[in-house]
Amino acid sequence: MPTAIDDFDRELTLQELLRGIDVNKLSSALQALLHAPVAVIDNKETHLFGSENCSTSAPRVALIAELEAIGYLTADADSASLQAARDILMLLLRSNARYLIASDLHLKTQLDDFEELQRRHAALEVSEQRYKALAQTLEQRVGEQVKTIEKARIKVFASEKLASVGRLAAGIAHEINNPIGFIHSNLNAISSYLESLDKIGTLVESGAGSADIRATWQREDMTFLQQDLKDILAECIAGTTRIAAIIRDLKGYSRVDQADYQSANVNDILRQVSNIAKAEVGNKARILLDLGEIPNLNCQAGLLGQVFLGLLLNAADAIAENGKILLRTRLDDKRICIDVRDNGHGIPEEALQHIFDPFFTTKEVGTGMGLGLTVCLDIVKSHGGQLEIKSKPGKGTLVSIALPLQYGKPS
Amino acid sequence: MAIYEEENNRLSIKLVYYGPAQSGKTTNLMRLHDLLRTDLKGEIMMMETANDRTLFFDLLPLGFKAPSGLLIKFKLYTVPGQIAHDSTRKAVLSRADGVVFVADSQRTQSINNGESFANLEENTARVGIDFDRLPLVVQFNKRDLSNILSEEEVWQRWQGAPWPLVFSSALAGRGVIETFHALLVQVYNTLNEEFDFENNHGLSRDAFIRQSIGQSQTDGAG
Repeated sequence: MPTAIDDFDRELTLQELLRGIDVNKLSSALQALLHAPVAVIDNKETHLFGSENCSTSAPRVALIAELEAIGYLTADADSASLQAARDILMLLLRSNARYLIASDLHLKTQLDDFEELQRRHAALEVSEQRYKALAQTLEQRVGEQVKTIEKARIKVFASEKLASVGRLAAGIAHEINNPIGFIHSNLNAISSYLESLDKIGTLVESGAGSADIRATWQREDMTFLQQDLKDILAECIAGTTRIAAIIRDLKGYSRVDQADYQSANVNDILRQVSNIAKAEVGNKARILLDLGEIPNLNCQAGLLGQVFLGLLLNAADAIAENGKILLRTRLDDKRICIDVRDNGHGIPEEALQHIFDPFFTTKEVGTGMGLGLTVCLDIVKSHGGQLEIKSKPGKGTLVSIALPLQYGKPS
Repeated sequence: MAIYEEENNRLSIKLVYYGPAQSGKTTNLMRLHDLLRTDLKGEIMMMETANDRTLFFDLLPLGFKAPSGLLIKFKLYTVPGQIAHDSTRKAVLSRADGVVFVADSQRTQSINNGESFANLEENTARVGIDFDRLPLVVQFNKRDLSNILSEEEVWQRWQGAPWPLVFSSALAGRGVIETFHALLVQVYNTLNEEFDFENNHGLSRDAFIRQSIGQSQTDGAG
């Protein structure tokens, strides 16, 4: 679409230089000055303006443009007057030349700029199309990314959980081993009691008299055995019940991949978790429960259990001996509030600022990834809740969690 | 590219003074107008703003007749140095037969010089001129000022560049003709490939340069 524009640096003809000038006025002015008819012709002898019938023998002076004559002024006048008239005319032409050149150059640059602008506009349109196309697939891509991130997040949760389970393993093994130990020795006792029963059984089968049987009954102390058998069987049942309870709590806790929302009571989760942690906390601290009346919560129970266990273990880590860990729940304006308070060594202020930063840890290398509290906060936030930590070095730490009862996750 | 008009028996050669703002391009033209003794010398047409900055360009027409009768006409242009006037620079540069790059010798101007030279290279490409074949002279102007790059420093910086270097003080008229002379040598060589001046117009390189500058000046410029 380039429009033809004359080059600003072309050689201008006299005719062009007269553009925009009222030649009739000019010619009568010159005529008045020179007191004679005047004519202006170009360098091809073409008459441009003035008197048509100027005598060919009349004197003429050249009109010089840059270097060369581009035309002539003719009038039957004296040489000095003619020169003066020529100078006036040339001043006029020169000034017009400046204007013509400047306007041609201006037009040229305007056009170039316009073309450049159009070129850029076209380029912009292409890129706009690209962005439009991109925007259309963006939602889908974001969805895919979210899925990937969610997967990675669950992996992090799981690995943190695995780490805490590993830490608990020794204590739990001990907890299970204890009842197994006395169940085992009880069962041994029961088998030895069976020998006494066998003897009486043999007598009965051989048709012995009741006096013989009674004598043996007394010799074998069967009255005591009967009572003891009852006792140790009761002990065994209590032991297996305890093991079953531990297993149940552990199972409840370790439903790692059960990320589904379900109706659960936070008090139950806390009880479960404190049972599991009991072995690890051991003798250095007592776990006290102060559980208020709270409704069920639609939540990811497994993940919340992980949060509580993590906080409990942190509290235990802060305690050297004779400690207390208090778990308290209450309902506060449609929120369930959970406090985990300990009287351990507390958290120094400079560490408190970084406490939720991923991979920040004050523990020894190898004992934690530094993701514990990051994951806790993450899980609490995913329930629409808040987690705050207050701590005084030397006094203890209070972790407060608030979970709203109504949070827009569909079950 | 030089325009030959058979009808008017005229060859128009366009030479452009390029460079950063206020490096002395217009001053070069004014001194040439004063100093040259070319047969035909027009008035300088200046297009300047109120504060002496070139708005569009300045134009100095010069010319002489070859023995063949051919009119050799030079049109010497300056470009506006300010960055904003790039479209004008580009328009003026189009079809140039030779360029004088007027650099400012002051130490503070090195970056401006560099940017302007890069802009020259870029614009020659945009107007379809082969920069490697373009007759070019680099003039380091304002040698009369203090706090300027020493000649050694300039030589060192431009070491390996194929273009002639000329040191000048255009305000005092020094180096202006030498610069023009150095450009004419290259312009003749380039145009001669097309026009064969010697055979077609009886114009040797020496005569071409002598006539372009004016007889009396040739001895001093060399």
